[in-house]
Amino acid sequence: MGRSFNTIAFDPAKCDGCGDCMSACARVKFDSDDTSRSLIQILARENANTKGISPGAGSSFELALCRQCGDPKCVTVCPAGALTKNNETGVIDWDGSRCVDCLLCTIGCTYAGISLDEATGRVSKCDTCDGNPACVPACPHDALKYITTSNIYNEVGDWEDLFAPGLAGCQGCNTELLMRHTLRRVGPDTVLATPPGCVPGMGSVGFNGTTGTKVPVFHPLLTNTAAMLAGVKRQYKRVGREITALAIAGDGGASDVGFQSLSGAAERGEQMLFMVVDNEGYMNTGMQRSSCTPYGAWTSTTPVGKAEEGQKAVAQGKTQDAKNMPLIMVNHRCDYVATASTAYMEDLYEKLDKAIAASRTGFAYLHVYSPCTTGWRFPTDQNMEVARKAVETNFVMLWEYTPEQGLHFTKPVDQPLPVTEYLKAMGRFRHLSPEQIAHIQGKVEENRRMVEKLAEQVHGG
Amino acid sequence: MSTATLEKTAPAKPKQKVILCEGNEAAALGVALARPDMVAVYPITPQSSLVEHVAKLIADGRMDADIVDAEGEHSVLSVLQGGALAGARTYTATCGPGLAFMFEPYFRTSGMRLPIVMTIVTRDGITPQSVWGGHQDAMTVREVGWVQMYCETVQEVLDTTVMAFRIAEHHDVMLPVNICLDGNYLSYGASRTELPDQADVDEFMGHKDVNWHVALDPLRPMAVDPLTGGSGGKGPSTFVRYRKGQCKGMQNALRVITEVHEEWAQKFGRSFSPLLEEYRLDDADYAIMTLGSMTGAAKDAIDEARDAGKRVGLIKLKTFSPFPVEALLKSLGKIQALGVVDRSVGFRWNCGPMFQETMGALYRLGRHVPAMSFIGGLAGADLTTAHFHRVIDATEQLLSNPAPIEPVWLNEND
Repeated sequence: MGRSFNTIAFDPAKCDGCGDCMSACARVKFDSDDTSRSLIQILARENANTKGISPGAGSSFELALCRQCGDPKCVTVCPAGALTKNNETGVIDWDGSRCVDCLLCTIGCTYAGISLDEATGRVSKCDTCDGNPACVPACPHDALKYITTSNIYNEVGDWEDLFAPGLAGCQGCNTELLMRHTLRRVGPDTVLATPPGCVPGMGSVGFNGTTGTKVPVFHPLLTNTAAMLAGVKRQYKRVGREITALAIAGDGGASDVGFQSLSGAAERGEQMLFMVVDNEGYMNTGMQRSSCTPYGAWTSTTPVGKAEEGQKAVAQGKTQDAKNMPLIMVNHRCDYVATASTAYMEDLYEKLDKAIAASRTGFAYLHVYSPCTTGWRFPTDQNMEVARKAVETNFVMLWEYTPEQGLHFTKPVDQPLPVTEYLKAMGRFRHLSPEQIAHIQGKVEENRRMVEKLAEQVHGG
Repeated sequence: MSTATLEKTAPAKPKQKVILCEGNEAAALGVALARPDMVAVYPITPQSSLVEHVAKLIADGRMDADIVDAEGEHSVLSVLQGGALAGARTYTATCGPGLAFMFEPYFRTSGMRLPIVMTIVTRDGITPQSVWGGHQDAMTVREVGWVQMYCETVQEVLDTTVMAFRIAEHHDVMLPVNICLDGNYLSYGASRTELPDQADVDEFMGHKDVNWHVALDPLRPMAVDPLTGGSGGKGPSTFVRYRKGQCKGMQNALRVITEVHEEWAQKFGRSFSPLLEEYRLDDADYAIMTLGSMTGAAKDAIDEARDAGKRVGLIKLKTFSPFPVEALLKSLGKIQALGVVDRSVGFRWNCGPMFQETMGALYRLGRHVPAMSFIGGLAGADLTTAHFHRVIDATEQLLSNPAPIEPVWLNEND
């Protein structure tokens, strides 16, 4: 497993092409005023103002800069071994003593990140100024950032991915991301319960003699996950063996038909981590409504009615509000309850660690909101954006609870965006009337007040 | 296997404590002797005093088992499935609505070949509402791959409970087992009961090995119950292999039940007919057929009828699932007419379930034996010798008259 490194990030939407970054680079690296020597080059975009869904797609400028690639083509094509990926710093180092000036690397690079410096007749490229790039502070518009990336990846990247490659999740599936990270963290001494739904649906338990998981894994019934897992854990406890009992269940298996066994296990303080992947419906079996589906949402069993001429449609999506599962679990006084989102991975990881620890002594419940590209109707590359907007609008609130510390927000959003910013990001809300949107906005605020009150009560005392 | 044969070979009984106890307590004591690791309970009439006894035995330190007071029968059986997959010997008890509620995991237990033992303290119902005895609950689930044995006496309840674990865990069987004991009549009926010594039972039970074939264990990771079936590839064949294996296990159970009963008789000096019992059948012209605790009154009626010169005998079934076809054919071969008394109904055929199944066996006999169905003892109704005399008389009529299509409802006017 490789490492991930810090990087210079460019936001074209903020760039006005002033060239201050290039001046800074030329000065620092070459003591020169000639910006053509700069290792960062801001270029006028040939097809500027093209409409697109990515931020900055309509900008007039683009960036030529060494990306310090993980799989660098310049290194591959170099016949002299003059370019090497430095596994300590992540920078692609150039060794002038070995370079034969063939310029193959300048053709190999897709990003124009290495080019001929006409002043010396040799190639030159960015070395990130040893981790303190001069171009970044020089930018007056905040268009350049030196970003610390992938702390989590560097920490856990070497840990074994306990799911097989090639799980059959939908493209861009948030749940697969969550499963893989979770199992890495939990480790091999685990028994995994995955009730019917997307998690086994993508092949984690397997099909006709195959399995997608490297730890003991089973299909409970949709109805009995917590009970079956409790039996497993209890027997290992009885014989003095420490295992992690982990359930990765969908919202239907937790909030609807599986709720009784979940509630019973929580009340008895069974020692397990029950993770709910909440994609707000029965997405694996065809996107039907669950009790976690929010008001107004289209599902295949809460369709958007279309009336014949002269008639009136009866229903426009779900007519009830979602059940608030995590608050219900708080009222079971579980050893640990938290909500999380994959758009806030470090927050998720902290909660995962706490939940695993709590599962050694009692019941831990982790409710992860998991946007579903297929069922919610949004492009696959918008998954994290949808997850983030849910939090930024307070449609989803990130908090944690323990009996000792009470409830507190981990990512409080005090000035939320209007909920329309979230709703408009996906097709399942496309049909909403102003009245329905007002209802949802009202519910968001009501939920916020309720959680706030709970947080005050347990803290303020 | 007749009772007489077993008694001949039985050695002198080992010293055993004699107690007075009810069927529910006898079941609890039998469970304690079998030393399960895990017991999950949820109370329901008329099973409740059984799990109360188990809970007390554990609380008193007389039984070393993890007890899970689950929030319902569905979870009761689910907890035990998890326990069994982690290597635990497991036990529970239920009846009627509880059994109906646990049907989903109940069906699955046999499919996963988990040797869970469960007493059904049989109860009629579910509606018309009844908390009283009757076999309707156990009969309703007779077709999903559990071994089901019905007991006649309190002593048989205790002994069969211990034997059930040996049968379930036998590597040629690996199926869950129900011990069916009649609600009210056996659950609350107190009898003189001999309590085997723990050390002797330990020796009888031998080595425990319940998850050698399927396990949830990080030391031998596997996927338990992955999806099978569908068309093409290995789909259908995998499913068919599992199903066929279940049916094979059921058939093997007939042999194993017999062997375990023989071993029990050798060790503890008490013999019970493992599959079915014949009573005064060898020289009988016709017979009546019974199941469970009603058999005592039926045997008294047979004795009285014999005293009156009637050539009538009795066949009592103990093992209902798997249905002991071969053993039953031997018994049916001796008679010319049959009356079958059921404590439940089969809605589809308008007769008792045991009658219906016996008709299937009779076809294999290759000769016509007129038979009729009697339904009695529903919802706790008493079945007395007077009822059985009616059965005997009506069955005798079959020797010269055609059998009626309609069943006879024994307690219709009680």
